Amino acid sequence: MNHLVFEVGLAIALIAAAGLISSKLRFSVIPFYILVGMAVGPHAMQWWHFDFRFIESAPLIEFMGRIGVLFLLFYLGLEFSVGRLIKSGRSIAVGGTIYIGINFTLGLLLGFLAGYPTAETLVIAGITTISSSAIVAKVLVDLKRTANAETEMILGIIMFEDVFLAVYISILSGLVLSGSSSIGGVLLSAVIALGFMLVVLIVGRQAVPLLNRLLNIRSNELFSLVIFGALFLLAGFSETIHVAEAIGALLLGLVLAETEHAKRIEHLILPFRDFFGAIFFFSFGLTIDPLALGGAIWLSLIAVIITLIGNYTAGMLAGRSAGLSSKASSNIGLTIVSRGEFSIILANLGKAGGLMTIIQPFAALYVLILAILGPLLTKESKHVYNFLNRIFKFKDSKSKKKADPIILNEDHS
Amino acid sequence: MHVRESDLPGIGKKFVIETRGGDKAVVIIHDDGRREIYHFSYDDAEESVSMISMDDDEARQLAAIVGGLTYKPKALETIDIALDELIIEWYHIEPNYYGAGKSIGQLDVRQTSGATIIAVVEKNQGKQINPGPGVIITPGSTVVVAGERQQQRLFKQILLNGSG
Repeated sequence: MNHLVFEVGLAIALIAAAGLISSKLRFSVIPFYILVGMAVGPHAMQWWHFDFRFIESAPLIEFMGRIGVLFLLFYLGLEFSVGRLIKSGRSIAVGGTIYIGINFTLGLLLGFLAGYPTAETLVIAGITTISSSAIVAKVLVDLKRTANAETEMILGIIMFEDVFLAVYISILSGLVLSGSSSIGGVLLSAVIALGFMLVVLIVGRQAVPLLNRLLNIRSNELFSLVIFGALFLLAGFSETIHVAEAIGALLLGLVLAETEHAKRIEHLILPFRDFFGAIFFFSFGLTIDPLALGGAIWLSLIAVIITLIGNYTAGMLAGRSAGLSSKASSNIGLTIVSRGEFSIILANLGKAGGLMTIIQPFAALYVLILAILGPLLTKESKHVYNFLNRIFKFKDSKSKKKADPIILNEDHS
Repeated sequence: MHVRESDLPGIGKKFVIETRGGDKAVVIIHDDGRREIYHFSYDDAEESVSMISMDDDEARQLAAIVGGLTYKPKALETIDIALDELIIEWYHIEPNYYGAGKSIGQLDVRQTSGATIIAVVEKNQGKQINPGPGVIITPGSTVVVAGERQQQRLFKQILLNGSG
């Protein structure tokens, strides 16, 4: 008998329950979606009608998660604007470069020193470099930090990371998905990937007036059909030439962002992104056997420590170079330490390319730790800063003199 | 007042406002319509001392109140009422104006600008409706003038600097 609808319903109910719990506890939802996905799966039990093994529906849930990635990246492309990046100014370009420079190098070092082959190392470096836009933006809003001076720098770095992510995934997908072993083959596929990106962007730019006219569709139903059709076609076509389908979705988003229908498309996509995005995290958790996590514990812990140090250092340097106080600079590093959707997308890319299986549990543990730790560190940034300030004595001419007596008073009360 | 505007990608827009008096406030307009106003103290620019969060309709209501749509403050220097082409304006006379202390006839406003002074309200609330050319425009008083926009502009020029 086919109980697909019931199984999927069960999955969605579990995801909803996890989300409700996380918002009750005032945590980010992402780790909870992953955890509930990990809790169920083939190792779980079956109780009366409730089959928590999700054997029958696993491929379907996985496919829904795959669609979630498309929506996540499509929306990212829609929100992104090249003009905004150029306008954002020199300090953000410097900050972003510092961030990527330090953290990507550290990620590569981690992979090489742990003795992984090149492809695996590149995936690991990608997982550890890219912050979670979703968590960072949510934390900034929830903790009422949007008005702070460092917020522009934080979001600027995130934007910079998005650009890096786009280029990196396209190169990496050429490398990982093509399956060619020779350097020439790898280079060729990376060139194809980059060329594809450029062609879509350039042609897309030229086609903006045409798209403006074509998308002038009054009926919401037909409008959404056209957009979805374009999204799935372009993403699917990317896959056929060994470019990650996520990149196809991102590119379409970038092109459509320039049209005058961008806001309407955003409104249309948002609920789909939220729904399928949640299923994406769940389905990622579902693919991970909690018992297999053991082998990845040390790698994950070391990666977490490296990320903490690398992000904090980069935040400090970026903030100070932009003339922010050391306290504000400290906030940068502590906020961008959260990891989430992009790390998992990269891990899935590794899986699709048939890389070593350790990458999945590694990414799961790493994201779980940092998706929970990141927001906590952001929340307690004042204490973290005071603590680190006592050790490192950050030079901050103005606030330092006042800082010490205030701490003492707090301890007594 | 100094206003600095910046984008917060994925969140919305941020306006940093510094008033002439040195107060600092930050307004955040979220993409979902929510507004937040943060207030920063003089000595600590790092952390806000207070904040208020509003829905879209609440924010509009507040904007109307702050903007003086529901209640107009009495001390406004110029309020103009437009009746088709004809505009009636209030001018508060500062002591450094050219026209301060001179009589209406001396300024010869009706001939040179075309605008007509329809009333002079003095500081001690003494009113002169339809004043004659002998009436002196004392500093601190308010002059009510009727005329078209171009005439009003000319009038203001004469009042400030003598014949433009």
